[in-house]
Amino acid sequence: MTQATAVRAGAAVALRGLHKAFGEVRAVDGVDLVISPGEVVALLGPNGAGKSTTVDVLLGLTEPDRGEVSVFGRTPRQAVVEGAVGAVLQSGSLLDDATVGLVAALHRAPLPVAEVLAQAGIADLAGRRCTGLSGGQEQRLRFALALVPRPDLLVLDEPTVAVDVETRRRFWQAMRAYTEAGRTVLFATHYLEEAQDYADRVVLMRSGRVVADGSVAQVGATVSGRTIKAVVPGFDGRALPGARSAGTRGDVLHLVCDDSDAALRALLAAYPAAHDVEVTALGLEDAFLALTGEGR
Amino acid sequence: MNLRFLGLEVRRAVRNGRYLILAVALPAVMFLLFVNLCGGAGQTFPNGLPVVTSLMMNMALFGVMSGPLSTGARIAVERGSGWQRQLRLTPLTGAGYVVTKGVLGMLVALPAIVLVSAVGVGEGVRLGVGQWAAVLLALWPAAVPFVLVGVVIGLVATPDGMQALTAGASMLLGLLGGIWIPSDVAPDWLRSVMEVLPTYWAKQLAQAPLVPDAPVAHALLVLGAWVLVLGLVAARRFRAGRV
Repeated sequence: MTQATAVRAGAAVALRGLHKAFGEVRAVDGVDLVISPGEVVALLGPNGAGKSTTVDVLLGLTEPDRGEVSVFGRTPRQAVVEGAVGAVLQSGSLLDDATVGLVAALHRAPLPVAEVLAQAGIADLAGRRCTGLSGGQEQRLRFALALVPRPDLLVLDEPTVAVDVETRRRFWQAMRAYTEAGRTVLFATHYLEEAQDYADRVVLMRSGRVVADGSVAQVGATVSGRTIKAVVPGFDGRALPGARSAGTRGDVLHLVCDDSDAALRALLAAYPAAHDVEVTALGLEDAFLALTGEGR
Repeated sequence: MNLRFLGLEVRRAVRNGRYLILAVALPAVMFLLFVNLCGGAGQTFPNGLPVVTSLMMNMALFGVMSGPLSTGARIAVERGSGWQRQLRLTPLTGAGYVVTKGVLGMLVALPAIVLVSAVGVGEGVRLGVGQWAAVLLALWPAAVPFVLVGVVIGLVATPDGMQALTAGASMLLGLLGGIWIPSDVAPDWLRSVMEVLPTYWAKQLAQAPLVPDAPVAHALLVLGAWVLVLGLVAARRFRAGRV
């Protein structure tokens, strides 16, 4: 057994050469991904990058055209049947009269309903119908449904899309409490802050492929350099040493630099009146834009 | 079969006000209306069956038809919303889901039979114990083709189209099947339509213990054909689309 296959055998999630097309659209176009137990991974990418399809495949909701999928060394369906996976799905509404108990009745070793509701922070909703739940309450109910099988892997497909900031914050608090016990989490999102704040590792997707994979710092560093922002009255558009590109809006000059020190020295020498200078490292957002923007 | 899941599904069905009104209360109410407003009490059809007994069977069949139809059609709603995706994240299989819905359909057909029969006793239907048993035992299995019609609608229809399809099916099976117009007074063309539909033969089976020369074998044959064809359609649809 090679080291690579040993890693795969012990992995929480292992995808290899995954392909899935819907008609002409190649939603997932060769994805390789190994997630170790205990990792909290953000699957980041713009709409249509293939995040949801990838998630559906590893939950067994969609059959891939090609490629291998295993979840804790089993097929996705086996993992679901054994209660190893719980998921908050993005699409679809809940039934008016659906209950956590209904889902619990189907699982082999479900967490007691009262405990599920408490962990999801909706103990007060026990016995209520789904009609008239607020967006945040419904979202926590979905989270509750995901917790029912006591999963080792939680998969969240854009769990906080269309909920307000406060609800989002409370959701991630509940999530944190859950992951402290060493569970594996994979969440798809297009909120950069969520990836930055809650993930150990970021997997960036674009057009059905993984374009970057690593810690937040590593992915941020794939786009090297710094930006300089300054108010420069009378900037004449000349090229500055160390600067990759320049743009102005009114008197405000934006420089993206390979060597910000050189660029800053040249800038201040040429324009003594320049003020309000800010130098910042390119962050995850810039990496995101650089790596996922079409046509760049 | 997961009995706890089935139990909770039964509870969901029973708590559904529309089911209770349409499939349980309405048949009994219609029965009372027909007997008391349209007369017929004390009269008998040419085959010797008292009108009130015949009406009782027809209204029980109405419940046997509408309960399972609406239960099966709910599959369309659960398919359309994200609920089935949610269920696919449990050990429940697609076949297990459809079978549960089928058994649920059989169960929701029962209350109407019991309630209409109880009203029948109050309205002067007099049968021997053996006759009651035979009538009830004919009425309940008669739900099978209607359960399957409901399941097929649930597997074929969109949530929006489900209402129209269910209404159309109950119209076809009820009105043309002889629930609202007794076959004894139906014009010939209507009778020939009736003799294709499962509703008509379910009635023949239900009244078999009470009338001479009932075409039991013929009824079983037609009902069996319906069950077979609907079962095949349901299985095909189930395999084509993923539930």
